[in-house]
Amino acid sequence: MKHLYIKGVLALLWVLVTQVAIAQPGSQPTIKSKLIGTVVDANNKQPIAGAVVKIKGTTHAVSTDADGKFSFVTGQSFPYTLVVSFIGYIQQELRVDGSPVEIPLKENISQLNDVVITGYTTQERKYVASAITSISGDVIKDQPVAGFNQLLQGKVTGVQVLASNGTPGGGITFRIRGNNSINASVDPLYIIDGVFVSNADPIQTGLGNQQGSNPLADINPNDIESIQILKDANATAIYGSLGANGVVIVTTKRGKRNTAARISLNTYQGWSTAINKFKVATGPETAILTNESRVNTVKDNPNLPAPTLIANAEGQPTYDRFADLFRTARTQNYELATQGGTERSNYYIGLGYLNQDAVIRPSGYTRYTARLNYDTYLTNKLKVGTSINLSRSRRNLSGSDNSPTGVINSALFPRSYLPIYNADGTYARYGSFDNHIALIENLDNDAVGWRTIGNIYGEYTIIPGLKLRSSWSLDNGSEYENNYSNTLISAGISSLGSAASYENKNLVLTNEQVLNYIKTFGNGKHNINALVGNTINTVLTQNTSATGTGFAANSLKSVAVAATRSGSSSRAESKLLSFFSKVSYTYDNKYTIDGSIRADGSSKFGVNKQWGYFPSGGFAWRAGQEEFIKKLNIFDELKLRASIGLSGNQNGIGSYAAQGQWSSGANYLEQPGTAPSQLANPDLTWETTRQVDFGAEFGFLKNRLNIVIDYYNKYTYDLLLNVPVPYRSGFASYLQNYGAVRNKGVEFAVNSTNVQSVNFKWTTNFNISYNNNKIEKLASDIALGASGRNISILRQGFAVNSFQLYKQLYVDPQTGNAVYDDVNKDGQITSADRQIVGNALPKFTGGFTNNLSYKNVDLSFFFYFQQGNKIMNMNDFFMVHGGLQANIGFLPRQLERWQKPGDQTDIPRLTADSRNPAVNGGAANNYGGNVANLSSRYLEDGSFIRLKTFSLGYNLPASLLQKIKISKIRLYAQATNLLTFTRYGGLDPEVSSQSSNQNTAGYDWATIPQPKTFQIGANVTF
Amino acid sequence: MKTLYIKNILLVATVLVTASCKKYLEVIPNNALPTESAITDAGTARAAIIGAYDRVQGYYASSYPTLGTITTDNVVFNGTLSEYLQLDQNAVPTDNVITVSAYQSIYRAINSANSVIAYVPAVQDAQLTTVEKNKILSEAYFIRALGYFDLARGWGGVQLQLKPTTDLTVLKGIKRSTLDQTYDQVLADLIQAEQLLPEDATTRNRAQKSAARALRARLHLYRKQWADAENYATQVISNTKYSLVKPYKSFFTAPFQTAESVLELAYSVNDRNTYWNLWYPSSAGGQYTLKPSDALVTKLNNPSIGGTRNTLVAGTGSSVYGVLYNTTATGTDPSYLIRIAELYLIRAEARAQQNKLVEATADLNAVRSRADAGATTAVGQGPLLQAIEDENGVEFAFEAHRWFDLVRTERAGAVLGLNNRNYWLFPIPYSDVLSDPDVTQNPGY
Repeated sequence: MKHLYIKGVLALLWVLVTQVAIAQPGSQPTIKSKLIGTVVDANNKQPIAGAVVKIKGTTHAVSTDADGKFSFVTGQSFPYTLVVSFIGYIQQELRVDGSPVEIPLKENISQLNDVVITGYTTQERKYVASAITSISGDVIKDQPVAGFNQLLQGKVTGVQVLASNGTPGGGITFRIRGNNSINASVDPLYIIDGVFVSNADPIQTGLGNQQGSNPLADINPNDIESIQILKDANATAIYGSLGANGVVIVTTKRGKRNTAARISLNTYQGWSTAINKFKVATGPETAILTNESRVNTVKDNPNLPAPTLIANAEGQPTYDRFADLFRTARTQNYELATQGGTERSNYYIGLGYLNQDAVIRPSGYTRYTARLNYDTYLTNKLKVGTSINLSRSRRNLSGSDNSPTGVINSALFPRSYLPIYNADGTYARYGSFDNHIALIENLDNDAVGWRTIGNIYGEYTIIPGLKLRSSWSLDNGSEYENNYSNTLISAGISSLGSAASYENKNLVLTNEQVLNYIKTFGNGKHNINALVGNTINTVLTQNTSATGTGFAANSLKSVAVAATRSGSSSRAESKLLSFFSKVSYTYDNKYTIDGSIRADGSSKFGVNKQWGYFPSGGFAWRAGQEEFIKKLNIFDELKLRASIGLSGNQNGIGSYAAQGQWSSGANYLEQPGTAPSQLANPDLTWETTRQVDFGAEFGFLKNRLNIVIDYYNKYTYDLLLNVPVPYRSGFASYLQNYGAVRNKGVEFAVNSTNVQSVNFKWTTNFNISYNNNKIEKLASDIALGASGRNISILRQGFAVNSFQLYKQLYVDPQTGNAVYDDVNKDGQITSADRQIVGNALPKFTGGFTNNLSYKNVDLSFFFYFQQGNKIMNMNDFFMVHGGLQANIGFLPRQLERWQKPGDQTDIPRLTADSRNPAVNGGAANNYGGNVANLSSRYLEDGSFIRLKTFSLGYNLPASLLQKIKISKIRLYAQATNLLTFTRYGGLDPEVSSQSSNQNTAGYDWATIPQPKTFQIGANVTF
Repeated sequence: MKTLYIKNILLVATVLVTASCKKYLEVIPNNALPTESAITDAGTARAAIIGAYDRVQGYYASSYPTLGTITTDNVVFNGTLSEYLQLDQNAVPTDNVITVSAYQSIYRAINSANSVIAYVPAVQDAQLTTVEKNKILSEAYFIRALGYFDLARGWGGVQLQLKPTTDLTVLKGIKRSTLDQTYDQVLADLIQAEQLLPEDATTRNRAQKSAARALRARLHLYRKQWADAENYATQVISNTKYSLVKPYKSFFTAPFQTAESVLELAYSVNDRNTYWNLWYPSSAGGQYTLKPSDALVTKLNNPSIGGTRNTLVAGTGSSVYGVLYNTTATGTDPSYLIRIAELYLIRAEARAQQNKLVEATADLNAVRSRADAGATTAVGQGPLLQAIEDENGVEFAFEAHRWFDLVRTERAGAVLGLNNRNYWLFPIPYSDVLSDPDVTQNPGY
C-alpha cells in the first residue's frame, strides 16, 4: 500500500514536472496477495533484467530490475498464473501458489518466433512473407574489425562480403544477392535507427583505385543490438528507389524501462601480423634471370649488338626490403556503456575507442565513438526519442600502394640486388620507384572524419494500434585530409615539398512520416498491419581542396605558406521525394498476404520521367499450422513464402546526370573556359529490379533444428548505363537506360542446437549461398581496369567482373615460347584474340559457426569460405616479366621459366624480343608483343576457406563475483584469420585492390594482406 | 455543398503539392552551364574558345608528343606502364591508353571548335564586336584544322565531324574519309582561319595568321606540295616576329614564349603541365618512363651533330634523362606546337625536293648554326634530304615530330625496322570499333 502510494506520488510529481502527462484516474485494488520473485536465465542462472511479468487474465504487469527481481502486490489471490516474457527468450507460463518464486527462462534458440523489423514497421517473424535474415549484435562484437558490415561475412545467406585489403577501416565489398547494376550503385541501403546513412567513401587522397575507407566503420559494432538484412522485393520495395540492392537495417542498443543502471566495460588488446609476406627472387637469381633474358633476346634478333651482362651474377648481394615493411601491429579497444530506464524513459550511453595499426607500415586507424539513445513517454500516448551517434575517425593513409611511389611498390618492385641506400647514406631510388624507407618515415597523409548520425522522433498513439510517427534524421559527415610530401620522398622532391588539403562534406537529411495500424481481432484470427507514409530526402556533397608546392623547410607543411597555391571546389545536390503504403494481413495464423507500393520522384532524372512506381506483393503459408501437417509430428514449423516486386535504383550516378552540360574550369591563359562535358538525356529514368523469391522455413525437433531455404531470380532492366559512344562525338559515353542484368541464386541456412543441457551447450550454424550473375543486354562491350589495360570486361552473356586476357594454352616444350588460343583462327595473335577466361565473382559463399559452452567456459570457431572466383595477380603480371622491365625485379615464380627443350612449365622462355608481335608461338609474345603480358597465366583461382575466428572464453564464477559486487566478468582469448586453405599463389585471396570501381573486382596489386590477429579481452558488467 | 467545399480544398491542395514537388525536385549545378545557354553572349563565347584551347592542351600536353617520340629510335621505355612499352615496341593494341586518349582528346577539341563555329555567329551582344567575333571564329577554324591534321597523320583519313554533337543523331552515317579528303578539310579550315585571324608582334600562345600559315606549310609538306610548302614557310620566316634564338636551350627555358615560337600552348601553376614527370628519374621526383635512347644521347653529345642541343639531356651514365620539359617545381613547360626552326626545315626539304639545293642547304645550315653544329657536309639532293631528316630527328628530339616524319617519308621501315606498313598508322580505338557502326579499323589491327 505504502509502496503503491509512493509510486503514485512520484507519478503525480512527474505529471506536474512535465505538465504534459495526462493523469490516469485509477481505483485502488484490494490487496489479496504479495509475491516476490526472480527471473533468471535457465542456462546460467544469471538474473534477467527487464523481463515482463504479467498476471494472466489481468493487465497487471511489472518488469524485473537489474537483479532480475520483481514483486507484485495484487488483488488476485493465490494461486494464479504468471506470464513471463523477454525478448530472445521463450515466453513462460507458471502457476504460482506462494512467495517467493524463481522463474527460469529458456533462451529462444529458434529465431522463428521473434520480432523482425521490416520496412517502416515490425512484424512477428512467423507472419513475415519476405526473405529477411536477422543477426544478433552478439555475433559481431569484440572482433578486431572496425566495420560491422565487414563482420557480416559468412553470417548471412545471400550476402557476399569481402575486405578489399588489410587496411584498418579500409574499404569492403558488400553485395546482397549479387551485382544488380553496372554504373549505378550496387551497395545496399543502410538504415541505422531509422536514419538513411550515406555509404559514400569520403577519402579524396589517391589510393591507387582502392576504396579509401569503409564509411560504416564510423559505427561501433558493440553498440549494435541487431541487424536485419532485407533481401527480397517484398521486403525492399517499400524502400522503392533505394531498395534494389537490398536493405541493411541496424538497431542499436536501447535501455529497458524500469531497469536499474547497468554498466559494462569491454576491452581487448590485439597483436597482428600479415597472414603471408612477400617473397622475391634473390639478388643472384635476379641477375641470372636478367642475363639469361639478355642473351636470349640477342639470340632471337641477331641484328642487335651483343648483350651486356651483369658481371658476377652469382655473387650479387640480396637486400631484404620486407623486414622494414611488415610489422607486428597493435590493436587496442576500450568500450564503456551504460543502460537502464525509469518508469517512463530509457537510455543507452556508449563510449568507444579503437586504435588499430596495419600490418604494413605506416597505415593506421583510430576511432572514437559516442552514442546516446533515449526514449521517453511524455504522455501515455506521446513518445519522443532520439538516437545519436558521434564519431571521430583518424586514418594514417598510405597513398597509392600500387603506384611506383607507394610504399608497397617501392619495397616489392626494385631489384633485390640493388642497395636500399646510396653509398653516401641517402635513400636510393631506381627507375620510377621511390624508396620504401623514405616513404615509411616521411609519408604524411592524415584524414580526420567527423560523423554525426542522429534522429529525433515523435510517436503518437491515436487509438490503440494506430500510431503516427514523424522522424527527422541527419547524417552529417566531414572528412578533413591533410597530405604533405616533403623533399625526402619522390613526390615532393621536384616541387620542394607539396601539400594538399581536402575538406569533404556529406549531408543527408531525411524527414519521414508514417501512419501505422496494427490490429488483431476476431479472437486472433485476423491480423492487420497497415501503413502509409512519405519521406523527403536531400543529399548534399561539397568538396573544397587546396594544394601548394614549394616550402622553405620540411617542417613547414601548411598550404598557406607554399610558394604556389591553387584551390578547387565542387558541390552536388540531389533530392528524393517518396510516398508509400503497405498492408499485411494474416488469417488464422496461417496465411499472410502482403502488398506495398511506393512512388519516388528523383531530381537526378530527366524532367520527363522523374517519377517511378514500385509495387510488391508476398504470400506466406504456415503449413505447419495445418492439422494434416501437425499430425505428421515432424515439423514444429513449416512455412512457405513467395513474393514478387519491383524496386528501383538511382544511386551512384551523378546528381545532374540527365542534364546537358558545359563544364567550367576548362581554362587557358588564366582566362575562364567552358567546354561540352555531358550530353542531355531528358528521358533518363529509374533503373528497375524485378525480383521473384520463393522461400521455405522448417523447424524440427522442438525447433532445435531450423532450416531456411530461398530461391530468387532478380532481373534488373533499364540499367543506368554509361553507353560508350563514338569518340568523334567529343564524348566518351552517354548515360541512358539501356541493358539488363540477371542474378539468380539459392540460399540455404541451418541453425542447430546440437546439445542443450544444464552444463553443456553446443550450437551450429551453417549457411551457403549460390549466385549466378549474367549480363543479359548491353549496347557494346565495356572494357576497363588495371590502369587502362582493360583486363576487366562487361559483355552481354557473361557475368559482370569478367576478366579478358589472352588464354595461354601451353608453353611449347621445344621452343619455350608461349602459345595462345587463336580465337578467330587467323593464325595471328591480335587484340581480337582476347577472351573471357573467368570472373571475380564467387559462385558459392558461406560460413560455418560453432558455439560451445561448458559451465563457465565457452568456445567458438567460425569458418568463412568462397569458391569459384578468379584473382588477377598483378604482382605476377609485373614481376614475372621475362626481362622486359629493366627496373623491376622478379617473383620466385619466374624461376620456373622454360630453359631447355623438354621443359614442361607454364612460364615461357625469357626474352625481350619484340619482332613479329602477331606471330603465335613466337618469342615476341612471351611477355611483350601484342599479348603485352596480359596472359591467363597470371589469373588464378581465388577460392579459399578461412578460419576467421577462434575464441575461448571464461566466465568468472558467480560466487566470486558477488563478493566484489560485479555481476559478470568474462575473459577471453581469440585468434582471427588463423588458418587459410587456398591454392591462390599471392599473399592473400581475400583481396580486391581496384575496388573503388565496382566493375574492377578481383585484382591483387601491391595490397596490404589481411592481418592474423591474436587478442585477449575482458567483458565486465557492473 | 460541404462535399464540394472539401473537393475544392483537395483540388487546391493537390495542385499546390504537385507544384511544390516539382519545384523541390529541381536542382541546379553551380559549376556547369546548361548546353542550351552555353554560348549566348560575349562572356560565354570567349569562354568557349578558351575551352577549345584547353582541349588542345588536353592532347598536346602529354599524349601527342609521346606518340611522336617513344615510337622512334630517339626515346625508349624505362618505366612500368605497359601502354608506353607497347608504343616503344611498336606493338600497339587497339586499346593502347595513349593512342586512345589522344584520339579521344582531339575529337573533344574538334567538338569544342565545332560548337564555336556553329553558335558564335548567332550571338547578339554589343560587347562582342565583329572583330572579336571573327577572331574567335577563326581560332576555332584553326583548332579544327589542327585537330584533323593531327588525326590524319596519326590514324589516316578519319570521320569528318563538322557539327557540334547536341545529340547522338548527328553522328549517324558519317564514314571514314580518305587521307586526301581529311587534308582537304584541314586546308579549307586553314584558309578560313588565315583570312580572319589577327596578327600582332607578340602573341605566341594563341593562333594568329602566321600560325595558320605555318600549319599550312606543314600540311603542304605532308602532301608533297613542295612549292606551296616553300611559299608558306617563307611567309612565316620573313615575319620579323620570329627568329632562331640562341642558345638553343633558351626556347625551353622559363619564362618561354621566345621569338622561336610560332605557336606554343602556355601553362601556369594553376594549369599545370606535368609532362616532365614522365622524363625525370624518381630521384628527381619523376617516373622516368621516357628515356633518351643511347643512340640519341651519343648524337646529341657529338658536337658536329648535336652541338648545343646536348642541353636537351642531363645526368650521366645509365641515368641520362631528357630535360626539354623541365619545370619540375611549377609545371609550366609549354607544349611546343610550331617552332620557327621547323619552318626552316620545311623549306629546306621543300626546296631540296625541288632541287633548289643551295637554298635548301642555307635553310638547313640556319638551323645547324643556331645549335653551333657547324655547316652540313651533305652534298647532292639525296644526302641533303637525309641530312634534313637527321636534323629533324635531333632538333625536335622530344617533340611530336620524328615518328610522323618517318611515316610521311615512308622511311619508318628503313630507320626503325618496322617493315609492316600497317603499323605505320595507329589503331582506331577498340571502344569505337565496338560502338560505332560507321567506323572501320585500320588494316592489320
